[in-house]
Amino acid sequence: MAEPLVLNVVLFMPLVGVALLFALKPRAESQVRGWTLAIMLAQFVLTLWLYLRFDATVAGLQFETRLPWIAAWGVYYLIGLDGYNLLLVLLTAFLGPLVVAGAFTAIRKDVKLFYAMVLLLQFAMVGTFVAQDLFLFYLFWETMLIPLFFIIGIWGGERRIYATFKFVLYTAFGSIVMLAAVIYLVISLDATTGITSFAFADLYRAQLPLPVQTILLCAFALSFAIKVPMVPLHTWLPDAHVEAPTAGSVILAGVLLKMGTYGFMKLGFPLFPDATRLLAPVFSTLAVISIIYGACLALVQTDIKKVIAYSSISHLGYVMLGLISLDLLGIQGAIVQMVSHGLVAGGLFLMVGMIYERCHSREIKDYGGLAKLLPIYSVFFAILTLAAIGLPTTSGFTGEFLVLLGAFSAAWPLHLEGFSYPLVVSVTAVAGVVLGALYMLGLAQRVLFGPARAPHQPLVDLNLREKSILVALMAAVFVFGLFPAEPMRKTELAAQEYRQLVAAERTGSRMTLNTAGSRVVAPVPMGNVTSTAAARTTP
Amino acid sequence: MNFDVVLVAMLPEHILLAGIVLLVALDIAGASTRETVTVTTLILIAAAAAATCLATVAYTATPFAGHYSVDAGASSAKAILLALTVPVVLISRDDFAERTFHILLLSSLYGACLLVASDSFLMLFLGLEIMSLPVYVLVLLAFQRTASAEAALKYLVLGGTATATLLMGASLLYGATGSLALSAFTSSLASPSAMETIGVVLVLLAFFLKAAVVPFHAWAPDAYEGAAMPVTAYMAAVIKGAVLFVVVRLAGNAMLGPPVVGLVVAMPLLSIVWGNLTAMRQQSFRRMIAYSSIAHAGYLFYALLGEPASRFQAVAFYVLAYGAMNILAFAALPRAADDATRDRLVHLKGLFGRDPAAAILPLPGFVAKFMIFKNVIAAGYTAYAVAGLIGSYIGIYFYLRVVQYMFMSADESFARGTPSKGLALGASVLCLIAAFVLGVFPGWVIDVL
Repeated sequence: MAEPLVLNVVLFMPLVGVALLFALKPRAESQVRGWTLAIMLAQFVLTLWLYLRFDATVAGLQFETRLPWIAAWGVYYLIGLDGYNLLLVLLTAFLGPLVVAGAFTAIRKDVKLFYAMVLLLQFAMVGTFVAQDLFLFYLFWETMLIPLFFIIGIWGGERRIYATFKFVLYTAFGSIVMLAAVIYLVISLDATTGITSFAFADLYRAQLPLPVQTILLCAFALSFAIKVPMVPLHTWLPDAHVEAPTAGSVILAGVLLKMGTYGFMKLGFPLFPDATRLLAPVFSTLAVISIIYGACLALVQTDIKKVIAYSSISHLGYVMLGLISLDLLGIQGAIVQMVSHGLVAGGLFLMVGMIYERCHSREIKDYGGLAKLLPIYSVFFAILTLAAIGLPTTSGFTGEFLVLLGAFSAAWPLHLEGFSYPLVVSVTAVAGVVLGALYMLGLAQRVLFGPARAPHQPLVDLNLREKSILVALMAAVFVFGLFPAEPMRKTELAAQEYRQLVAAERTGSRMTLNTAGSRVVAPVPMGNVTSTAAARTTP
Repeated sequence: MNFDVVLVAMLPEHILLAGIVLLVALDIAGASTRETVTVTTLILIAAAAAATCLATVAYTATPFAGHYSVDAGASSAKAILLALTVPVVLISRDDFAERTFHILLLSSLYGACLLVASDSFLMLFLGLEIMSLPVYVLVLLAFQRTASAEAALKYLVLGGTATATLLMGASLLYGATGSLALSAFTSSLASPSAMETIGVVLVLLAFFLKAAVVPFHAWAPDAYEGAAMPVTAYMAAVIKGAVLFVVVRLAGNAMLGPPVVGLVVAMPLLSIVWGNLTAMRQQSFRRMIAYSSIAHAGYLFYALLGEPASRFQAVAFYVLAYGAMNILAFAALPRAADDATRDRLVHLKGLFGRDPAAAILPLPGFVAKFMIFKNVIAAGYTAYAVAGLIGSYIGIYFYLRVVQYMFMSADESFARGTPSKGLALGASVLCLIAAFVLGVFPGWVIDVL
């Protein structure tokens, strides 16, 4: 069984890469780039192999590694792949090499530190997805902020310090509140069931009264909703995106925003099912507001990056709608939409970076007729635009269509019972698709067509490196659009499990905290290590 | 009194005492001061090793019944304080060539060791004074600067006030209970009697003053600024740690009662918020450390809210993590022409232009804070824990400011200081290893404590 080992290698590879970079000579910038790319590519290949080895017929965790970490608290180093994180880990590993290759010419200052930070971020992101222990998850979740703070703060645009502080302080506030909820949840699990554990699978069994569930869900949701971001917690996003260097934007849009929706799917909703059902109207309303409001804001922007930034808010709204619909199709659609948005928005940010490197402007009004000036660039830009709109055969279509289908089929029975609000919400969400076509086609029309105009001429069209990046992205977009059945087969059991978890009744009796005496660490119920005594002897 | 027990139980103290005598003898003999750092380091390592051994075998003994007793906790506390002093000695060579510094440092540690194992107010007072008196002199030792005289005087006067408050509290408790034992203090924590409550509050206030908790913090920035770098590091890491260890010992196995809980929540919370807020506005490195140590004192006192059994572990881990990080900050400080330049934060701009190690540094602090807040919530004080966590949010802002200062102003034209070399580098590596172990394998440390 080599898979668990490979998963660990995938996780720690970037960290080893950081050490490697610092072993290189101070001025060896091309070596730094080459090694980073090699590490990222190797990570992707190994992740792809894991993806192919993933057994779609087995529910639950695969390729699991479980080692006692802080035995006295029941904290384990517990990682593994399941239907929830499989595609997201693959997406992260896929975008890694593209981000690195995309930054080859854009980053000229402190090259080594930059790639070290990108690798550190990659480590933290993969870690957040594969962690199956809440303590471990939280550590990775927080660790992500640090490299991103550097990436935006050192290599960002004019207002980079403001943007990076806003981003980190915004997200850190959510995390602090979540931390209190995490501790409370773990202690109540201990007090009610006698299990001292941070493992997700154990926490799913916590029995909490509805008011407590609601408060804890709100605390978790604050953290996750900031990350998604859901309106009205989105105001950090445009600043961070606009000021971040291209690599930062791509990682933000491609992977980081999915952390929020993944958090809801893996933790927020299944941990507090009763509160989730209670607050479902609130979440679906906020999701639809995000879809419409994000799209409206995207319509009126004058900066290309901001259009895409706001469109992210809109697209992530679909994911939230799919997750809260609790319909199997909707959940599957949400997962597909996460990956699709990662590819499409990541690709669009890369393309904005490419034109910015040539012209040093992101204003829409500075450009026109690029189809004549940069024909190859324009073809790619047009395809990505169509994918962002959700044209059939692209990945965007599969996701949005399934989400809307799921939202409808969840809302229709309720409507027949005389509760038509969910139906109104679903219908409104459809309007977002139209608005999406409006702002993306508007952007493409103004930039690609009309009289030829660019702030810096003559322009050189895409080189081989840029073409390779975009071809890889296109391939992924179409594979995902044309053959969604295969990846969806691998996520199906997870989607079912998620639906069951959120549908379950789990309001326990009123919690009484055990305040006296010392706590005994109960045997960990699910797995290989059975007692603290055994845990203590193994390092 | 059994001499065997006295010999074994107080082994770390004996080693320190022997070391002090040795250093004094060398001084009288007029030997060269070249090897002083080595000798002192060896003494400290030996004493720390002895304390670690006693802690590992959980050696329990009462050499002086009712006044001084040793258990696993006391020995661990000694081991932590002694081990933290090793890097302090390593970074002291540039500032102190004379043996006076080392003799005073070891004397102060001797007091700290007595303090954390004391059982009665008499021994506690003795330990506290033996620990504090040499530090007043140590602050003054940076006599090239006028600021240090002022700092030493301030510290002396305020330290005297703390002692007086402590004595007043202890006298009231003695009057009420007829006992000087610390266990009497512990039982008075829950007592309804007004006299005992006042006594308890006075004793706690004395320790708030010693640990620089808001609003008794004003002396700390001045004293820290006036002292030489190694002395500041010693005060921030070791003295503060010793004070907190004895407070945990005082609280014993009692949960805090209503009036005391309010005190232990409000003032530390204020400290966390105010310390972090003011720390980021400082221009002087030592004042920044002082304010951040005020915030840390807040977290440490928060640990008292936890269940009695969990307090020591949380405080010990925190003292170790925070001490190591703090001394690391001093050790990594670049060398400069004179002390005043070295102290200016501007000097740090762009210093770590290519060193991403700062990214992992929050890890041990996170585990330490997690432990404290976990205990506080487990004891049922969820609201207080949330307040403390939100206070620590300001700490994140402070950390980001420091990082911004060091990394994000590299393009401004400031002369970069020379990175530390030799012994200071050794101290940095030592602290980094400690930080790595505490952050990545906290389970080991928690199991040992």
